Amino acid sequence: MKLTVSNPPHIKQGVTVATIMWSKIVILAVVSLMATIVFGLSALAMIVASAISAVLTEAGIQKLSKQELTIKDGDAVSIGILIALLMPPTVPLWIPVIGSFFGVALVKHAFGGIGANLFNPAIAAWVFMNMSWATLTISGSIPHIGQYSDLVLEYGAGRLAEVSPIVLIIGGVYLIYKKYIDWRVPSSYLFTTIVLALVIGEDLSYVITGMLFLGVFILATETATSPITKNGRFIYGLLCGVLTVIYGFFSFNYVAAVLYAIFLANAVSPFIEKNTYPRPVDEVIA
Amino acid sequence: MTEKEIENSSSTEQSKPYRKQVVIPLLQHRGAICEPLIKVDDNVLKGQKIGECDHDFGAKVHSSISGHVIGIEERPHPCCNKKPSIIIESNGTDQTINFIPQQNPSKEYIFDTLKDSGIIELNGYPIFNILNTQKTIDTILVNLTYTSDANSNCTPENIPKLISGMKLLMKATDAAQGAFIIHRNNNQLASAIRYGLKEDNIRIIKMKHNYTPLMSNLLAHDMTGMRISNIDTPVDAGVMISSAYGALAVNDAIIEGIPPIEVNVAVSGAVGKPGIQKVGIGTSFKDIIQSSGGYVGEPAKIIMNGILTGTAQVTDEVPVIKSTTEITVQSIDEVVRTKPGPCIHCARCVDVCPVNILPARIASFSNIGRYDECKKLNVYSCVECGLCDYSCPSNIHILQLIRFARTALLGSFKIPEEKESPNLKLGCQSCLTPCYMGASSSRGGK
Repeated sequence: MKLTVSNPPHIKQGVTVATIMWSKIVILAVVSLMATIVFGLSALAMIVASAISAVLTEAGIQKLSKQELTIKDGDAVSIGILIALLMPPTVPLWIPVIGSFFGVALVKHAFGGIGANLFNPAIAAWVFMNMSWATLTISGSIPHIGQYSDLVLEYGAGRLAEVSPIVLIIGGVYLIYKKYIDWRVPSSYLFTTIVLALVIGEDLSYVITGMLFLGVFILATETATSPITKNGRFIYGLLCGVLTVIYGFFSFNYVAAVLYAIFLANAVSPFIEKNTYPRPVDEVIA
Repeated sequence: MTEKEIENSSSTEQSKPYRKQVVIPLLQHRGAICEPLIKVDDNVLKGQKIGECDHDFGAKVHSSISGHVIGIEERPHPCCNKKPSIIIESNGTDQTINFIPQQNPSKEYIFDTLKDSGIIELNGYPIFNILNTQKTIDTILVNLTYTSDANSNCTPENIPKLISGMKLLMKATDAAQGAFIIHRNNNQLASAIRYGLKEDNIRIIKMKHNYTPLMSNLLAHDMTGMRISNIDTPVDAGVMISSAYGALAVNDAIIEGIPPIEVNVAVSGAVGKPGIQKVGIGTSFKDIIQSSGGYVGEPAKIIMNGILTGTAQVTDEVPVIKSTTEITVQSIDEVVRTKPGPCIHCARCVDVCPVNILPARIASFSNIGRYDECKKLNVYSCVECGLCDYSCPSNIHILQLIRFARTALLGSFKIPEEKESPNLKLGCQSCLTPCYMGASSSRGGK
């Protein structure tokens, strides 16, 4: 009889990185479907091309550096889809392809692969695209949630992710319910944004867009770039909200505001974490 | 577990086919090892004291069968390496010593009996040492949230004994109040205890966590709100925490006069007939598994005391000790064989941690050998509940890394034994008068 000896626990919950990533991808796939309905098959082509580019980049890097292939965990796929979703439908096909290459190669793998990236790869790639080809990536329209039906299908969307806020809301709440993403960052981000926007007298129909919900539920909760301490996550969400409203107030563009806010908050997230280390229950102050 | 199944398991217990030989380790708790009171080829009776310890922190050991001693040697122990054990072969009769029942004991009698019977708590501390304190204990808590303890010991016929054990503990410590801590989902047990409870000063409290025996400080903290450092015990907060096993053993030792020679063991997993058995101390795991239907398929892992925090065994010939409550057999498909990946900083471990530390950060520092950083991140606060490891999506062995860091830290604070160099011992012997330079005569050449 051969017996295995190991440390406890002798059972695992069964939630893996792949589970978390693929459930995010399912939600993004529904958003992609909505984008295809609104913008036509060119949007679908962008998303597919971007995802394939991301996966090929990851596979190539891991083959070249003789690492284990991790494309099955879905992280590269989700980065690829996200980069396409952040683009307006009018961009040429090579823009998201280069964006995906940049995001996976230079933002994710140059820093050490999954879990080690300093910035959210999708947002960093978007910032790169936005600065390199500003005339191509500018969106033709600014979303405006004027009536409730706009939450389901927003025909005024300027970028692919803005087409259906309701999908992102339902998907995000489902992810929180399954504990695949954290609830502290989304709640404090959303709360801060809405309260601050109301305080300075903004029109909420321009603030609450599909991009805000994508930022709140998918982009801001990206695990490597948000603090792991409980209080730190509240502060991180609060910072994201404050930066969103500041940028949006001065630039009148709440879509770019979300992305730049998360990009800047990523930069200070290690600092937030370092200063919010929790006090263990058995720590006694003499 | 229905009542019918319990009857089945107790009927197999009466036939006792698996009691041919028992191996009773002389160390069954945390503390000093016992000295054997008997020699090889002596005859012993059931309940006879066979091991005693003069040390304050000792727990006496009793024989669980009548028979004769065939050896005192080192045998496998379920919690550590080989330990000196007494091997007794049954002589077929079930002759016992005279147990002295005491229905209405005095406080002194309870203390004496507890010391004499060597009852231990599931966390390994002798119950006498917990009670024998200068501090005032005003609350007795019986923790029924530890799953494997509750599974095996909280059967319907044991509920009156549990309440009686609780009352005895309250009498011994003059505690004003007591409480049964029950997991909030375990409504069946809560209603069973509420039905049997007639006292006003004993309450039922429902809690969110499953408190393992190592989490006594945390339970006391959650109950009283006092912060207890990891070098203190719940007694420092005026709380005594017992397990279901402890309360039952106290009741048996005092009301019926039987020392802890039998334990209730829940057998689960890949066996023919899972259920609860009452077995004597020293019965090997092999015999217990055999009498509960044998292995189903090839066993791949045998775990004592729960699947989340239990100890995996090297062999199935280890004996049952006082703190055994559950034996789990895993088949080859159930054994976790996952390869750890990189941490994605998802903070799931931080969210489940009951003591508010950062398991992911400690694990990554432990992995690269930075134990000083682990200490700064309060690695000593960990109560080893295993929830971080259980919920990690990257399959990182967080608990193992935390234990590794602790062991390394303990080793680094240990004062090394002074090694005498061969020169030092021989000395140069060239000076018979004391050295004028003040060097000791053994320093070279002077």
